[in-house]
Amino acid sequence: MLTIDSLSKSFDKGKNFALEDVSFNLKAGQVCAIVGESGSGKTTLVRLIAGLERPDHGSITMGGKIIASLDKFVQPEKRKIGLVFQEYALFPHLTILENVLYGISKLKNKKTRAQEMLDLVGLGNMGSRYPHQLSGGQQQRVALARALAPEPSLLILDEPFSNLDTMLRTQLRNEVFDIIKKTEVTVLFVTHDTQDALSVADEILILQKGKVIQKDVAANLYVKPNTLYVASLFGSTVHINKNLQNAFRCPLKQDCCHAIRNEKIIVSPSSAEADCEYITAARVIKKIQLGDSTQLVLKLESGEQLTVMTQDQNIADTIYVGFNSKDILEFEQE
Amino acid sequence: MKQAGNKSEAFSLKTRIKRLKRDINKWSVLTLTIVFFLALPIIFIGVELFSGPGETWGHIVKYLLPDYIWNSFYLVIVCSFLVLIFGVSSAWFVSRYDFLFRKQMEWLLILPLAIPSYIVGYAYAGIFDYGGSMDLLFRQLGLEFIRIDIMNRAGLAFILSISLFPYVYVSARAFFLNQANNLLEASKMLGVGERKTFFKLMLPLARPAIVAGLVLVLMEVLNDYGAAKYYGVNTFTTGIFRSWFSLEEPQTAVYLSALLILIIFTLILFEKWQVRKIKFTSSKTNSTQIQRKEPKGVMQWVIFSAVSLPIILGFILPVIQLIYWAVITASTVFDMEFIMISLQSFAIAIVSAIITVFFALLLIYFSKWSTLTTIKNISRIGVLGYAIPGAVIAIGIMIPTLALDKWLINMLAKVGVDSGLIINGTLIALLYAYAVRFLAVAYNPIDSTALKVDNSIPDSSKVLGVGNLKTFLKIEFPLIKTGVFSAVILVFIDVMKELPLTLILKPYHIDTLAVKAFEYASDEMVMEASIPSLFIIFTAMIPVIFLNKLLIKK
Repeated sequence: MLTIDSLSKSFDKGKNFALEDVSFNLKAGQVCAIVGESGSGKTTLVRLIAGLERPDHGSITMGGKIIASLDKFVQPEKRKIGLVFQEYALFPHLTILENVLYGISKLKNKKTRAQEMLDLVGLGNMGSRYPHQLSGGQQQRVALARALAPEPSLLILDEPFSNLDTMLRTQLRNEVFDIIKKTEVTVLFVTHDTQDALSVADEILILQKGKVIQKDVAANLYVKPNTLYVASLFGSTVHINKNLQNAFRCPLKQDCCHAIRNEKIIVSPSSAEADCEYITAARVIKKIQLGDSTQLVLKLESGEQLTVMTQDQNIADTIYVGFNSKDILEFEQE
Repeated sequence: MKQAGNKSEAFSLKTRIKRLKRDINKWSVLTLTIVFFLALPIIFIGVELFSGPGETWGHIVKYLLPDYIWNSFYLVIVCSFLVLIFGVSSAWFVSRYDFLFRKQMEWLLILPLAIPSYIVGYAYAGIFDYGGSMDLLFRQLGLEFIRIDIMNRAGLAFILSISLFPYVYVSARAFFLNQANNLLEASKMLGVGERKTFFKLMLPLARPAIVAGLVLVLMEVLNDYGAAKYYGVNTFTTGIFRSWFSLEEPQTAVYLSALLILIIFTLILFEKWQVRKIKFTSSKTNSTQIQRKEPKGVMQWVIFSAVSLPIILGFILPVIQLIYWAVITASTVFDMEFIMISLQSFAIAIVSAIITVFFALLLIYFSKWSTLTTIKNISRIGVLGYAIPGAVIAIGIMIPTLALDKWLINMLAKVGVDSGLIINGTLIALLYAYAVRFLAVAYNPIDSTALKVDNSIPDSSKVLGVGNLKTFLKIEFPLIKTGVFSAVILVFIDVMKELPLTLILKPYHIDTLAVKAFEYASDEMVMEASIPSLFIIFTAMIPVIFLNKLLIKK
């Protein structure tokens, strides 16, 4: 449905690339999340797809037609893409109904369609209000109704929940995706929050410094992360560097990067009880209670420091810590 | 990932050309056309330089040019000094202290901008003349009148400073009010005294703002014709007029114009350099306003006098003098012809304000839609007209349009039509010149309101399937209305006050209030100049107050 091929974009004439050689496919009806830190190029990518920026290299194909390449550019108004902005971008001088009507003025039954959309997002009786009279969550839903009204073939949500507090965020995220599921539209969903991505996306695409690091279904990202960065995005992870390898006496493959999930690290009062291949004694130098778990700052026998989590509430001052080789994640050197 | 080397390929010449072909659109072409249209007068002055100077050029270089340069230099230095004293001190006092009538004085300090410098000049000539107001006053008091001769270079510097200092006042005050509070509090917390805080912290920090105001003042100083002419001081502008009208040597006028442009660009570069040298990042979110102190004892009177002095000198005294003259001359000046001139003046100002604002809108939005960053940078050239003195723009328009007219007359004669000058001597040339000169006046308020509209607003309109023009009409224009409105008003005032450009380019049978005032003064009828002058002042005053309201709201 959407094919991105070696897409690049620079805002300073090639000194730095906001997006570098990005390629991927999107199937119709899929919900794909784009995850990355701020500055990773997420917004640039969706702006390129929407036609609000022009690529410096590569191409974008939608529904079998090229919409952007080096010699072709389809104007954003001709692309049939719905876009919900981070700051909602409702037209402040138009009512809610007028906002939704805006993109479908050529439709015959536009009034009915607009009202349907407002009903869908649960704001059917607020059509005559102005954007500033609505709460953040309501504005968000109007923006969604407005974007869905012209029946776009692709809907892009650019950090739609980042302006909301945590409680409202979870609730609204579920509501919004319930509405989206009803329309069966293909969705690109930009977020910096992995929870957002994990809870709604069929597939997740990880961007780092303008490059695609991994694109996979959620479960695979956890089990088979491509890089240490991806691993740490989806769960707290300890990087097993040279010093730690020495501390645990576990020689690992050179030219590779290794890590272990925090929950796979075994903490035990004696070396006999711990059932692991690599083990070392450690002294607890700091205990931090974090609700149902405890964070331990350990000083290993070798002098290295290591921070681990444990559910055990009664921790002696001297303990044993270790892990098994099957739990070690191995990546190519970054 | 296929296509290795994508990074270097993306900015190879071949790819760049391909992209340029893809990205250049009608808006790019239209933007370039408008910029070219606005820059044409300056381009022509550049081109005309190649046809060599006029016959009297040698004479002028030998006898007059040193005078022009020295006088302009003198005016720049003395005016800078006076304007900084008046502008910065009053701005600091009204921002930092609370005293009697502080609120009223805050906007009264802007009012001198409503009076064109040449009119202040006429009023002061009347105040200090033999048999003038001072003379009368002294005689009433039974005192001997010590006459101060102000009809000279020093007098001119005083006149220009007292009428132009509000430019510095406005920009310095904006800085003190909006940016200074955090720093001031920090300085106080560190136990630094009031005087040291001002000289060591506030003044250096406000420098970019002050320099920006100062450069505006100096452009006006170099633009002035009316006051310099009346005070008999030879400057570049009077020189341009003399070579054009008395010597009838356009080439010489062109050479003088080119020199003047050179001086002004040096000033602009100086400003850019000043601002770059100390590029302070101002926190835009700083919303806390400065906490005003109440001065005690003698300081109270010192501050009160320091703030009221520029108001009295720059506004109250000249206006009283003009009103006094107006009462005397009302019966002779105020007739049907005068009403007609006023109406013409208003009509011209309104039409040119609308045209100028229209071009500013075109320039801002066409360059935005053109998507090529180079075009956006080039579009800034269109705003430079404000730096170019009116007389220079007038010359730059006269030369090509006269040639064009000649060609048109010949062409029409061939088909048997007998026509006069089509562009010159009609309003077209004048309106064109106003648009070139005042484009920046319209551009800035519109641009700053347009910047407040988040890009996502027009972007979402486009994504919803609506094109650029319709997005502008339905979404952007309603949101920037206030900016457009203030732009119309600001250009309107500037056109009402404009003298040198109007004098050169106005059609024979049309007069404006500014021209009328100038003609009276030149014909030794300075008293009669008071009524047209007061008309200009009062029309300009209302928007100046309105402008101040906007500034306070900010």
